[in-house]
Amino acid sequence: MPFACIHVLNFILQSALRIEPGLRAQAAGILDGNPPFVTVIARNKKAGSLGLQIGMTKSQAEQIQGLQLRRRSIEHETAAHAALVDLALSFSPRIEETAADTIILDLAGLAQLFGGFEKLAQRLGRRAKKFGLSAQVAVGSNPEAAQLAARGFAGVTVLAADEEMERLGSLPVIALNPSFEIRETLERWGVRTCRALAALPVAQLSERLGQEGVRLQELARGASGRALIPTIAAMEFEEAMELDTAVSELEPLSFLLGRLLDQLCGRLSARALATNEIRLRMELEPGEEEIFGIAGKRQNRVYSQSSTTADSSSRRESGAPRNDNGGDRGDANRQSGTRHPERAGLRPAPTNAEVNRAEPDATVLIYEHVLRLPLAMRDSKALLRLWRLHLEAHPPASPIVKITMTAEPAKVRFAQSGLFVPLSPDPEKLEITMARTGHSVGAANIGSPELLDTHRPLSFRVGRFNPLEASLPANDSGESSVSSGVSLRIAESASLLPATALRVFRPAMPAKVEARDNSRDTTHETMNKVHAPARVYFGGVWGDVMAASGPWRSSGDWWTEDPWNQDEWDLEIEFPVPAAKETNAFSRTAFSHAAQKAESTRARGVYRIVRERASGEWFVRGVYD
Amino acid sequence: MYVELHARSAFSFLEGASLPETLAGRAAEIELPAVALLDRDGLYGAPRFHHAAVKNKIRAHIGVEVTSAGGFRYPLLVKTRAGYQNLCRLITRMKLRAAKNEGCISAKEMAEHAAGLVCLTGGEEGPLAHALGQGGIAGGTECVRELSAIFGRENVYVELQRHLHRDEEARNQAAVEIARKLRLPLLATNGVSHATRIERQVLDVFTSIRNHVALEAAGRLLARNSERQLKPSQRMARLFADLPEAIAHTPELSSRLEFTLEDLGYEFPKYPVPDGETQDSFLCQRTMEGMISRYGANDEKAQRQVERELVLIERLELAGYFLIVWDIVRFCREKNILVQGRGSAANSAVCYSLGITAVDPVGMDLLFERFLSEERHEWPDIDLDLPSGDQRERAIQYVYERYGKLGAAMTANVITYRGRSAAREAGKALSFDSETLDKLTSLVNAWEYKDDDDTLVRHFQDSGFDVGHPRIKKFLELCIRMQDLPRHLGQHSGGMVVCKGQLDSVVPLEPATMPGRVVVQWDKEDCADMGIVKVDLLGLGMMAVLEETIEIIHDHYREDVDLARLPADDALVYETLQRADTVGMFQIESRAQMSCLPRLKPVKFYDIVVQVAIIRPGPIVGKMVHPYLKRRAGREPVEYPHLSLEPVLARTLGVPLFQEQLLRMAMIAAGFSGGEAEELRRAFGFKRSEARMKEIEKKLRAGMIRTGISVESQEMIVKSITSFALYGFPESHAASFALLAYASAYLKCHYLAAFTAAMLNNQPMGFYSPATLVKDAQRHGLRVKPIDVAQSDWKCTLERDRENWAVRLGLRYAKGLREEPAQAIVAERSIRAFASIEELKQRVPSLQKTELITLAEIGAMNFFMRHATQPAIPEANGVADPGAKKRQRFHRRDALWQVERVARPAGPLLDDPQEAPVNEEEISRSLPFVPPLLPPDTSPLSPMTDAERLVADFRGTGMTVGPHPMSYCRSAMTTLGVRRANELEHLPDGIRLRIAGAIIARQRPGTAKGFVFLSVEDETGIANAIISPDVFAENRVTIVSHPFLLIDGRLQHQDNVISVKVDSVEALSMPAAAATSHDFH
Repeated sequence: MPFACIHVLNFILQSALRIEPGLRAQAAGILDGNPPFVTVIARNKKAGSLGLQIGMTKSQAEQIQGLQLRRRSIEHETAAHAALVDLALSFSPRIEETAADTIILDLAGLAQLFGGFEKLAQRLGRRAKKFGLSAQVAVGSNPEAAQLAARGFAGVTVLAADEEMERLGSLPVIALNPSFEIRETLERWGVRTCRALAALPVAQLSERLGQEGVRLQELARGASGRALIPTIAAMEFEEAMELDTAVSELEPLSFLLGRLLDQLCGRLSARALATNEIRLRMELEPGEEEIFGIAGKRQNRVYSQSSTTADSSSRRESGAPRNDNGGDRGDANRQSGTRHPERAGLRPAPTNAEVNRAEPDATVLIYEHVLRLPLAMRDSKALLRLWRLHLEAHPPASPIVKITMTAEPAKVRFAQSGLFVPLSPDPEKLEITMARTGHSVGAANIGSPELLDTHRPLSFRVGRFNPLEASLPANDSGESSVSSGVSLRIAESASLLPATALRVFRPAMPAKVEARDNSRDTTHETMNKVHAPARVYFGGVWGDVMAASGPWRSSGDWWTEDPWNQDEWDLEIEFPVPAAKETNAFSRTAFSHAAQKAESTRARGVYRIVRERASGEWFVRGVYD
Repeated sequence: MYVELHARSAFSFLEGASLPETLAGRAAEIELPAVALLDRDGLYGAPRFHHAAVKNKIRAHIGVEVTSAGGFRYPLLVKTRAGYQNLCRLITRMKLRAAKNEGCISAKEMAEHAAGLVCLTGGEEGPLAHALGQGGIAGGTECVRELSAIFGRENVYVELQRHLHRDEEARNQAAVEIARKLRLPLLATNGVSHATRIERQVLDVFTSIRNHVALEAAGRLLARNSERQLKPSQRMARLFADLPEAIAHTPELSSRLEFTLEDLGYEFPKYPVPDGETQDSFLCQRTMEGMISRYGANDEKAQRQVERELVLIERLELAGYFLIVWDIVRFCREKNILVQGRGSAANSAVCYSLGITAVDPVGMDLLFERFLSEERHEWPDIDLDLPSGDQRERAIQYVYERYGKLGAAMTANVITYRGRSAAREAGKALSFDSETLDKLTSLVNAWEYKDDDDTLVRHFQDSGFDVGHPRIKKFLELCIRMQDLPRHLGQHSGGMVVCKGQLDSVVPLEPATMPGRVVVQWDKEDCADMGIVKVDLLGLGMMAVLEETIEIIHDHYREDVDLARLPADDALVYETLQRADTVGMFQIESRAQMSCLPRLKPVKFYDIVVQVAIIRPGPIVGKMVHPYLKRRAGREPVEYPHLSLEPVLARTLGVPLFQEQLLRMAMIAAGFSGGEAEELRRAFGFKRSEARMKEIEKKLRAGMIRTGISVESQEMIVKSITSFALYGFPESHAASFALLAYASAYLKCHYLAAFTAAMLNNQPMGFYSPATLVKDAQRHGLRVKPIDVAQSDWKCTLERDRENWAVRLGLRYAKGLREEPAQAIVAERSIRAFASIEELKQRVPSLQKTELITLAEIGAMNFFMRHATQPAIPEANGVADPGAKKRQRFHRRDALWQVERVARPAGPLLDDPQEAPVNEEEISRSLPFVPPLLPPDTSPLSPMTDAERLVADFRGTGMTVGPHPMSYCRSAMTTLGVRRANELEHLPDGIRLRIAGAIIARQRPGTAKGFVFLSVEDETGIANAIISPDVFAENRVTIVSHPFLLIDGRLQHQDNVISVKVDSVEALSMPAAAATSHDFH
């Protein structure tokens, strides 16, 4: 039974060249790694002749004139492999995905169809070129012989049944991909070619290298009897719909989405599966029209977004929100302990589950979104509700002409939880509630707060809310727990500290402070009196400091680009109660607590005031109960 | 006024970030009158802190933070000497019973040792914080009450620290309440961990290293802020404005702490003498006995000198010290351990008479005052050289036995962060992955010479790192800050201290990693600075070589060589030295020595003394080398700075080369006493002090004016003294080394086989790799035989090779072969020879597959061939062995083929338990020869080619006994016009030529202004190449990283010194991996 193998040499580079064919004529290299440790991992001959070596650092490579450098792209490689599979499938229905750069085809019955194996192999090679890949093709009587020849010989090779051993003999044994140990042994023996290996007595070889040695010898002789491992059709659940008329209203779109979801859930159900990830991809009509009743705001050419409604893991990867400013403002990487790895210049960034891809056709607008679920579901109605909530919050830029929906299959969740697990809300309902709330407050602002292990004051992140999981681990925070009232360290000396709660203002309110002259200071709690605040202005009024305690100093993360260094003061401030019309909503909140205690037109409150030492700016962080 | 009474230095090992000197310097800068150093569980930094404090004119209080069984630490301050002794004993007790870096003390032990100590209640790690955490105010009160009961009310202070933390302040409020309730004084401290604010970063890095986490993951383990630095009085007063008494108590307590390290109370032990004898009389007798045996009964000069020295020794009460050293030497002689005193002790006729040193100071007219003088008030320093290894260990153990566990200890060796270690740890803290770390640390090299451009930043740039990246920048910054900070405590290789009575009351003792060893918490320098006498028992590789050579000569040549009675003027030795044919010889084998020898042309022993001393930084920097050589060659007249100095400088042709000459110059020219002259040498020595130097120079000039020396001569004399004193070499030391140099040269010239075997058995040592030693020996006609399982012992041995002796390489040179199976091979072989590889594996089951493979690969199993030629080889079951013919041409690959089968486990099916011997070893010994279980099959493999054998040799043994790698490509080299090393001496000076070979040594000495020196070896010898800084800069990578080089240049052939001045360098591709070169990067 004949087999063909198609192998792409220097696959990483070719994957890049396939996307950017113009590079073929130039000296090109591919870089990989994380800054500042990016190195060259692939190059073409032209680049080699200019002196580019594998392993060179980016800085070294950049010093070579006339070189084109590109970053490695897993997407390009995936696409190149998919193209290779497509190519193979267009010749034979039985193929094996041996490696990213290698496909084996079963040619049984195809010789006559293509006019002989030689012609078939040549057509394979030509077709590969059309796909943008330069491949080596070989035909042999068994998959391994074909693969060996494709890896070892340039161009097209057709091995006749009686000459396989002879032809393959000239290849180095390394082409057989032996284990490190066997490779070393063969090297010590001086056995460097397949011919030399094939010539060893099989019984004695078996005594020394075991069955692995015998297998390698069979390969070297071109006599492997292994069967093809055909590629099994992927577990793909995708439904698509092209629309004759573009849809610009939510209701009809919901109807269509509902149909697609019904179909997807039905298919999943038939295979006893559910899904925890649904991808919606919509092609949009170019132009700016009104959609969902709102004037369409033209988005970027590719509108991509990933929901993290219920996916705490992706939130953790990208760091916690900077809570003291309230909400996720994109500066999450500043949190200690949760640096974005790439930014830190260390490990490769974890691959995000979402795939954002530009369409080759520049005229097409794409709306793409992935809805991740914390647990596998297949209730099409619940899923539709989640989609509706999302689309209301994030409408596409223009009317929709094509919808593709892909479900990632997952095992169905267990129906019954433990006997002693307390009752909790129905997961589907909880998800919908969470999505609704997230819709109102921002997806990143819903969940359970988790204190961070840092001295940075009031640091926390929003973790995923999941009542089914064990309750939050007991934290032993010192400083930051002042606000939450939980602290091991303070618990140790519980009798020493008053139990006081702090209402934190998020974001902190800017303040102005007038320092007290040391000589006139009368506050008895002040330790460092030189800069003790005397008057504080915030929320539109000046207040007099009646008592001050501080500064409480903290600094850290000095090795990062986002260090902190600040002094906190606990101040008892007396101020005139502002008239409601003179204050904004926030300051009303800030003053309300103090105002409750007010006996007359003046009110007192104890506030936490912070001074950023680098900038000298003051903020009101919160008020003590 | 404020005194800081609670500071930690970097000697708290990863819990403090500043050196004691930095703390003392900073304290003086901010005008603190005194500081107390309380390191964790030790007085490691106390001597350095004490001296730094004296230098900075502040008071140094001594204390320790002692870990308690409860997990907290008692901050203890020393009030009196009794308190100091108590503290030392307490720490010793804690340390000696626990593993390294562990241990704690109980409250009971604390109470037993509390006298003379003051206890503070501590900061967050102190007893009060711990008690407050456990039991609130009531618990805290009880804790302080207990401390008062232990230390006495007047010796307990309630400590307050303010680092601007809320919880700390809550503790402080509780502490104030307790203090007021119990009427105890409050004491403000800052719990200092670093001298200045910026060092907090190093502290954070140390914290992360200590906790084995990266900075990013360290969270609240790190410091909360940077407030633990030394703060000036005003700032502390402001901080404690509400509690002024806490500040006021600090100078008060400081004035109560009367103890300083000046008052150590150390006494050297007395040597036990027979009844009726005193130390002095006993020493006198032993010395006189020795003097008569050394000099004879009628040497008046010697007798005068000895008597003079004995009088001084008696006056300084040092007889005990000399007797103790004499006792160690006597022990070594009794046990046949070679021993020789080195250093300035060789100036003493008493030491010579006692057999401590081997150089005759009277005959050589050496200056006793260099060793001992009345003015110096210092212990003499006697260093003993012993053969490295077991013999030295025996001597050390003898001292332990003689003076008891608490009477003798090794000095410590403080391991500090250096380039690579700092880079590695800083990189880890910054979360660099291991690959990046390897890359970064490999950039931190240590060339002895550094040009202006030779910076870490430049190395980073060269290697393609972005030095502008904040992480890399921070990394560089941390590496630099961490330099020289202590990392951990090691054990010094040979320094021992002994003490009268209990050493543990002078300095705390700790267990060393090596079982049975105890170390003091101070290093050698600190002990010396604190006036603790030490004896250095140093291991010297060459002593071990000499000892082993003598043994081998005795065993094989049947001759007894006595190093003390070697012929003094052996012609062959001097001829060899003049040719600079000195590979392997002690002290005169380096490239620089080799280039000097043909010019100096030694003809007598004193020339070797000069030769040893002249290639040193002192003479080189002082530009003494060329004048001396020119005068010796008669090209320059011999002149003296002043005629009165002729007797001193005559033997070195008017050029001062030795420290003793400087001393004598000062004595003659300025009328200094011996002690004053030594004082002068020290003033200009390593620990220079501008003020002291000026003072002494003034005195020197005044003396010279008195003796009527002209101003010009004065200038010359002062210049030679000031430029030379820093690096000068003592003549006595040079003489001791010259003795060893002569002995090694003599043995190499006359007993090459024995000497080479001993050299190979004591590696690593010396300047050259074993590969170079072997090639050198082969060029001198010695046959070196390869490793052979049927012949080799663990060590290299001698074998008869017709009329001559040959060296058989030992199994120790098979890389990866462990000593235990190797010794088992030797033991089994002595019972019966191995008939096959399978039998070898059977009888030495501990041999692992990798070991068998190495042995096969290096040809150590080719013994079948010899067996095949011997008719005695038994035939299995009387049937002719079909493999016999094959075995006649048994080669390395045959062995490899067999090994693969033998080493492969047969599996449970074939392992018949019935047949398996219960005790293989016993049964194999008791049974007659058993034929192999499996008949040896025919190997289908081809023999190795020459190049393959070469690669296998270098890979498996690091050398080859076959032809030099260069000989395989000689024809190609000839085509390229490459000259052999031995051709160069016949070529004229100045011609252009090309050489090539293996680089066996690369040097870039600090004194050579950036020049690099290469030793290039081919099959005919070693050629020297000199690379200018420019050529080096252009070819840095090629020169540093390629094992074989092709070099173009110009021949320099002057005074029989031959070298090639390099114009260009190219890497040479060779099949074999070269031996490791000896690089001083």
